[in-house]
Amino acid sequence: MSVLEVDNVSIHFGGVKALQHIDLKVGEWEIVGIIGPNGAGKTTLFNCITGFYSPTSGSVRYRGMDITGKPVHERTKLGIGRTFQNVGLVKNTTVLENLVTAQHLETDYDAFAGILGGPATFAEERRLADRAHQILELMNLDGVAQARVADLPYGMLKKVEIAAVLATDPDLLLLDEPGSGMGPEEAHQLGDTLLELRKQFGVTIVMIDHHVPLVTRVSDYVYCLNFGEVLTEGKPDEVRRHPEVVRAYLGEDPEEPEASTVAAADAPATEQAREEYV
Amino acid sequence: MSQELVVALVNGLFRGSVYALVALGIVLVYRATGVFNFAQTEFGTTGLFAAFVAVEMWHWDYALGLLFGISVAIVMGLVTERVVIRPLRHSSKVTLLVGTAGVATTAIGIQFWLTNEQPIREMPPIVEGSIATVLGVAITYQKVITVLVLIVVALALAAFFRSPSGLAIQAAQQEATAAELVGISVRRVSLMTWGIAAALGGLAGILSGPNDTFTAAFLTFGGGAALLPGLMAAVLAGMRSMPGALAGGLLVGIVEQLGALSALADLPGPKATILFVFLLVVLLLRPEGLFARKVVGA
Amino acid sequence: MSAVQASPGKEASAESTLVLPSVVGKPKSRFRPTTAGWFARGLAWAALAWFVFAVPGNFLSPFDLHGEDIGHLITAAVFVIIGLSLNILIGYTGTISLGHQAFVGIGAFMAAYMEVDLGIDFWFAVPIAAIVGGVQAAVLGAISLRLTGLYFALVTFAYGVFTEESIFGIIGFTGGDAGKAVTRPMGFQSPTAYYYLCLGFVVVVLWLDWRLTRTKGGRALQALRENPRVASSYGINVKAYTLLAFVTSGVFAAVAGALFAHGKDLIVPQNFGFELALSFILMTVVGGLRNRAGVVIGSVFFALMEGGWLFKTWLFDTVGVDWLLEDGIGLPLSFVPLVLGPILLILTLTTHPGGIGQQIAPIKEWMLGRKFDIHTGKVRDVEVTDVRA
Repeated sequence: MSVLEVDNVSIHFGGVKALQHIDLKVGEWEIVGIIGPNGAGKTTLFNCITGFYSPTSGSVRYRGMDITGKPVHERTKLGIGRTFQNVGLVKNTTVLENLVTAQHLETDYDAFAGILGGPATFAEERRLADRAHQILELMNLDGVAQARVADLPYGMLKKVEIAAVLATDPDLLLLDEPGSGMGPEEAHQLGDTLLELRKQFGVTIVMIDHHVPLVTRVSDYVYCLNFGEVLTEGKPDEVRRHPEVVRAYLGEDPEEPEASTVAAADAPATEQAREEYV
Repeated sequence: MSQELVVALVNGLFRGSVYALVALGIVLVYRATGVFNFAQTEFGTTGLFAAFVAVEMWHWDYALGLLFGISVAIVMGLVTERVVIRPLRHSSKVTLLVGTAGVATTAIGIQFWLTNEQPIREMPPIVEGSIATVLGVAITYQKVITVLVLIVVALALAAFFRSPSGLAIQAAQQEATAAELVGISVRRVSLMTWGIAAALGGLAGILSGPNDTFTAAFLTFGGGAALLPGLMAAVLAGMRSMPGALAGGLLVGIVEQLGALSALADLPGPKATILFVFLLVVLLLRPEGLFARKVVGA
Repeated sequence: MSAVQASPGKEASAESTLVLPSVVGKPKSRFRPTTAGWFARGLAWAALAWFVFAVPGNFLSPFDLHGEDIGHLITAAVFVIIGLSLNILIGYTGTISLGHQAFVGIGAFMAAYMEVDLGIDFWFAVPIAAIVGGVQAAVLGAISLRLTGLYFALVTFAYGVFTEESIFGIIGFTGGDAGKAVTRPMGFQSPTAYYYLCLGFVVVVLWLDWRLTRTKGGRALQALRENPRVASSYGINVKAYTLLAFVTSGVFAAVAGALFAHGKDLIVPQNFGFELALSFILMTVVGGLRNRAGVVIGSVFFALMEGGWLFKTWLFDTVGVDWLLEDGIGLPLSFVPLVLGPILLILTLTTHPGGIGQQIAPIKEWMLGRKFDIHTGKVRDVEVTDVRA
């Protein structure tokens, strides 16, 4: 059974057709890459999967269950975790506090018990902090546990964000440009990390990224979107060599696609404009 | 019943024209600086007090007194912009709202202090007496003048926004950086907007004051409270549309007067109830406002 | 699928080969006060306790407080609860309430109605008033959940006016202009005893507020205030937690109202006008949003300033503050809060956004056994402007 099935999803904003008839399947333990030029609808697709947008038509299934109409927080409960293109963290607090917050659903008392301050809640708070520390350690981030998020550099935040999502205990990890702002070296390390995460946590990963070498190295399957449609899909090498991909992505020069990592720093303006909370 | 409705309509129109003046100022400021201006009606009360002092205590000519009142309101608007709005321009809208509430309370505090000896004052109307009496409602000259002034102001504003200065204001509202690049001073535009809004507030004050006795905070939560209705009218206009603010003000005035119908006489505080319900219904059914073009897109 | 999976740490502890570059944290040298330092801190705490507990009881105190003076202290305790209640809405959730006087008034009249008309005992009336306060806040919250920021502020504004004119106009409920007179509960009839009772409630509310910020609920509120999208992706039900904040705030406000009703000889609907809502906002923001100590001090300050009482006290009297105000600039003391309060607010917003809480941060840290550093609180707690709008 596939973990995630996006079935014929379309979404329109006014007259803009942001996604058209998208089909996507992700199997257990797979790492699936999504590439495509800026404004292709990649983040919009993520927003449909995680519930920030409801598709105009089509459905999203998670482990066979239709989740199309479910709110975001319920999807998190089912095991869908995501990161955001422009760093989704609570910025005015520490890294540790973020990881504890992210364990919202793991917390073993209800909010009222917390307010009343029963003794069990104190013990549970310690357990949450310990677990947060473990995750940070695992990601080699324990040095910044007490640092305020707003004070950390961008590249670091991208890693903290992954740690925070891991704290929500996901089965399916949706990573939105985890490698943005990283150089080739760092991106390579990130690839190792992702493979390692899959091994240790047994998570399935869908990632959007512009680093074509990173995506092709770690992915089992790659989709390429363009203008809200699936341009092509297949094994990483097939997709990379696909002439339309090369054209859509790199312009008219089909030589050596891996040589250039395609500027990733700039977030696509159109998608970001829709990032506002709905 | 139908007689009562006519009375409500007539009274509503007169109250509504004051609300419309307030709403115009609120919308103007919101469009230019994104501030939900809580001090708008205090520009009015302050202007009213100033006019009162000039006319009644210094025995100035009435017209001169009114001019003085409006000038004081404008000065207060400019000072507000300089002292509160500009330092807070990068803050959130809620912080700015608290800031303008601070301006309003400062003004109210000072009014209470200075009118301590004799809290209740009375401003004579521009022209004494009534034109006619319709179904027991006296159509005073003051009320008619208020409606006429509203019409003139609406036309003047419409003309102004087609003039170069008005276009500059609109440009600065829509694209501050780009406006700076073509040589429009966003600072000056902001100052100018606050000045105009304060003048509108002052007008609302000096026109509505003479209908009744007045006290400190007259237009905010006193006898002529117009802040809540004015804000409501602005919301009906989607916070952006000037004609919408005008229509919204009149509509809110009429809806409020429906609370005076004898059918609702058993309800305690019928006007406040009907306004509250009206606001909820509007916000829940059409959060973008009644008199606003629907924004296309997500 | 279920949320309860084994901690990842256990599975991974065998060998971690993750290769993210590690970050070296700054080593923290722990500061320990000297014996003299401890002594000084102890003295400071003792002085604080003396002011709060001993002075109102005229115990070990050079002052002679009674009647009206104690009344102001009771108001101060009540205002502290109101300030903390409002802080939950403005500070924690970033939604401004301009109708908090209604929240307080409903608690006050509910308790008064139950005691005077139904003959229910204080100890039952206050919890029931608290529940009613929570329910009305929840209903208002549920209706306006779809609205954020300014529109929500407008709804609370209208709600306050509506409550004042309609609900408080029901003579059977509030006694109309004649108001309601409530007697204090058994054993707390004297103002001083009642003050200590209020202090007990303050301690409970402080505890609840502290636990709120340190547990699930408070963290959820912080996350949804700063970034609702991230909050919901963490599995936080944004609407449910906004409602939680409302209910908590409503309960606190209603308890404060009930205490307020017993603190006064008589309560009338005019006690709960819109100007009260404004002064609640003033004291909370001047105190410093999200800063418990700041909100407490701000609320106490505004409560004691009421009617200019604070400036008539020995402290200001000897310095000549009252003379300066009354004869110097002709400002009667009872008008000082009306004029000074808003000016303090504007100063706070424009120059010291952290409010009193930010100003006293060095002293607070020192009293908690840390090093005195005048710059404490300057960097971290300044961002009060990120309220949702």
